[in-house]
Amino acid sequence: MAYVLQRIVTMVPVLFFLSVMVFGLIHLIPGDPAQVILGQEATPEAIQQMRMKLGLDQPVPIQYWHWLQHVLTGNLGQSLVDGEPVSHLIAQRLPVTIELAVGTIVVALLIAFPFGILAAVYRGRWLDAAALFTSTVGLSVPPFWLGILLLIGFTVKLHWFPSSGYVPMWQDLGQNLHAMVLPVVATGVREAAVLMRMLRSSLLDVLHQDYVRTARAKGLYGWMVITRHALRNALIPVITTGGLQIAGLLGGLVITEQIFALPGFGSLLVQAVFSRDYTTVQGATLVAALLVVVVNLVVDLVYGVVDPRMRLGKESR
Amino acid sequence: MKRKALVTAMALLMGSGALTACGGGGGGSQNQTGNQAAAGAPSAASSDTLTVGLSADPPKLDPKLSTALVDRQVMINIYDTLFTIGPNNEIEPGLVEKYEVSQDGKTYTFHLRHGVTFQDGTPFNAAAVKFNIQRDQEKDSLQRSYLTPIVGIDTPDDYTVILHLNKPYSPLLAIFTDRPGMMVSPTAVQKEGADFVNHPVGSGPYAFKERVKGDHVTLVKNPNYWQSGQPHFNTVTYKIFTDQNVEVANLQSGQVQIIDTMPAQQVATLSQNPNFTVINQPGFGFQGLYLNVKQAPFDNKYLREAVDLGIDRKALVDTVFKGAASPGYTPFSQASSAYNQAQDTPPQPDPAKIKDLLAKGGKPNGFTFELQTAATPVTVQAAQVIQGMLSQYGIQVQIKQIEFGTLLDNATKHNFQASQLGWSGRLDPDQNIYSWFHTDGSQNDEQYSNPQVDQLLDEARAQLDPQERAKTYGRVMDIIHDEAPYVFLYHQNNLIAYNKHLTGFEYRADGLLRLATVSAQ
Repeated sequence: MAYVLQRIVTMVPVLFFLSVMVFGLIHLIPGDPAQVILGQEATPEAIQQMRMKLGLDQPVPIQYWHWLQHVLTGNLGQSLVDGEPVSHLIAQRLPVTIELAVGTIVVALLIAFPFGILAAVYRGRWLDAAALFTSTVGLSVPPFWLGILLLIGFTVKLHWFPSSGYVPMWQDLGQNLHAMVLPVVATGVREAAVLMRMLRSSLLDVLHQDYVRTARAKGLYGWMVITRHALRNALIPVITTGGLQIAGLLGGLVITEQIFALPGFGSLLVQAVFSRDYTTVQGATLVAALLVVVVNLVVDLVYGVVDPRMRLGKESR
Repeated sequence: MKRKALVTAMALLMGSGALTACGGGGGGSQNQTGNQAAAGAPSAASSDTLTVGLSADPPKLDPKLSTALVDRQVMINIYDTLFTIGPNNEIEPGLVEKYEVSQDGKTYTFHLRHGVTFQDGTPFNAAAVKFNIQRDQEKDSLQRSYLTPIVGIDTPDDYTVILHLNKPYSPLLAIFTDRPGMMVSPTAVQKEGADFVNHPVGSGPYAFKERVKGDHVTLVKNPNYWQSGQPHFNTVTYKIFTDQNVEVANLQSGQVQIIDTMPAQQVATLSQNPNFTVINQPGFGFQGLYLNVKQAPFDNKYLREAVDLGIDRKALVDTVFKGAASPGYTPFSQASSAYNQAQDTPPQPDPAKIKDLLAKGGKPNGFTFELQTAATPVTVQAAQVIQGMLSQYGIQVQIKQIEFGTLLDNATKHNFQASQLGWSGRLDPDQNIYSWFHTDGSQNDEQYSNPQVDQLLDEARAQLDPQERAKTYGRVMDIIHDEAPYVFLYHQNNLIAYNKHLTGFEYRADGLLRLATVSAQ
């Protein structure tokens, strides 16, 4: 428990540092937000007025201070483009991306676990070769390409799935899942390939350890040894990789969201960057950073569950 | 205990993997028929809802605050305009049934249509028009600069509006076919205040219902629309696609029935498909290169001319746009009343003449310049083709790809040698040339200044006869062609596509999807 608290406290300076970075970096992007918002036709007078309205005429540190004050009270400000509260925009978009991420992980696990274990157990046989071949293909195929392929094949040609038309889960679960199948597969395949290779090699490693041999010598059956003894130890590096993958997913999902026209968090961020919507970019990046930090925390905590040595090590401090 | 749980979890994971694989297939085939019906033959549902694909999210649905092109796609169906555009790009009556202009061009009298109400029940009358014009003249209005010549508004009766101008201003009626002509409900503005942008109310065929930013905008039928028998659908849903190829895929799969644009590469494929109608027609816009006349090397007129003459527009358009644009040499496309075929036909590159120009400009062996361009595939490809064409004459082009916001910023600050930036175009010729070449023009990023051009542009503004005006613009173009502060390259086409089962769509050169007349067979 103390460990969890300690980890949460250390998140604060990280987030503060990130907030400064986010704020500072976006102001380094060339291009005047007022000009971008008003477009090519705006008169200089209108642009000047817009700058004042947006507070862009003030020095950056003062702008940061105002922003931070609001953020600390939970107010992420209003979108510079359409005046919508940023927290509202994020709240609308985040569930879509989280669903996509969770779906991706589920697909990845469903593929990676059975095939990773089988590949390790039947090492060197045709099953192993097939699994390795498939994972190499999965790794080499970029998700956006697979996405377009799936889109053309399964929606344009076969009409099995809708090509767009995300429906929130709470409105219609069936339609929601129907619309999510292809995006989730498009991103999940790659993650599955990474995880599968990791699991295979890590499991092979463990299977050659003395204690596994001992267990076998004691007369335990093959699958029992693998699930009870080997897998658990093999999971540590897999969890590390998985954690990093989840953190990385947030960025990778952007393209999938574009291809399947999903109103997600990634596309919000991309659009905000292009329209110089400072407040939205700042708010969204901060939330994304928070998510990554939280995912890391969860991964660390899961270590403790899977491998008691980690937990004890921390508690004995 | 824990180990058992882990084993069970593993078994479940593997098992569910198999199950999902089967379930996915079954669910898919069940849906096959449903979706095919939507894509092919019209179903009962398709006459109820029209789904439109948009290539960007419309930021603001209030004409006073809007500057984005895509806003107009939605607004044109929520709001009626005072005047509209006819099939041959002539100005037609809208909410103004008849009008008169005084001899001196300074007084416009509008006679309004009777029996029109806004979607919230507010009657449309002279007071509403006055309210709208004054609202667009407010300080925070982005339409203000279009309406500066209007100095007084009289409303002698409920259906007459008299506008007093401080000088003759011929683009006025064309301006009223666009945002300043879109009439919003005064009651709704007073009720919603700043939130009107999220609750727009007009008198158009469809009323705003809801929007989810970045995903969709929904409109519903206006049951009291003044044009009897219109509109035809109960609901119109705009879906946002930030990738145009995805937008096309959605048209092909039947998720949307009409799309506002598409990549040029898709035109041929889609045109061959018997299920779709493709419109590939010139819009009002133009594209080309700004040459910064206040900076070397383009402070030298001969070098500007050499670049202008060295580009084969036909080849450029064929290579990059595959028939979805036409070569151009003026700001006026075929759709414009100031179009002049002879002047808009680009000259063929003439190596001897170019060599001569380079020698006159003091660079007989050529020179190097930097071309700034947006980082989109099409603009970059165009820049590369130009690079290849000019290198034959020793003119080396260094392409610098930059993000669009920065490109605009650099242009405004005159921080460029050459910049690839065009204009989406407007109905009235004045709006396609004045601010680009007048010394005080807001788009004059090339910093061109010529008193004679200024005088002619001002003169054209005051001329009411389109033919006279076209002649004046012809004189301007003679000078511009000679001085080449801007290299006109091509006119982009409007690319619209829709499912064959839709009927009644009427194309206009502004490229807007007017949906009142559209119905499903």
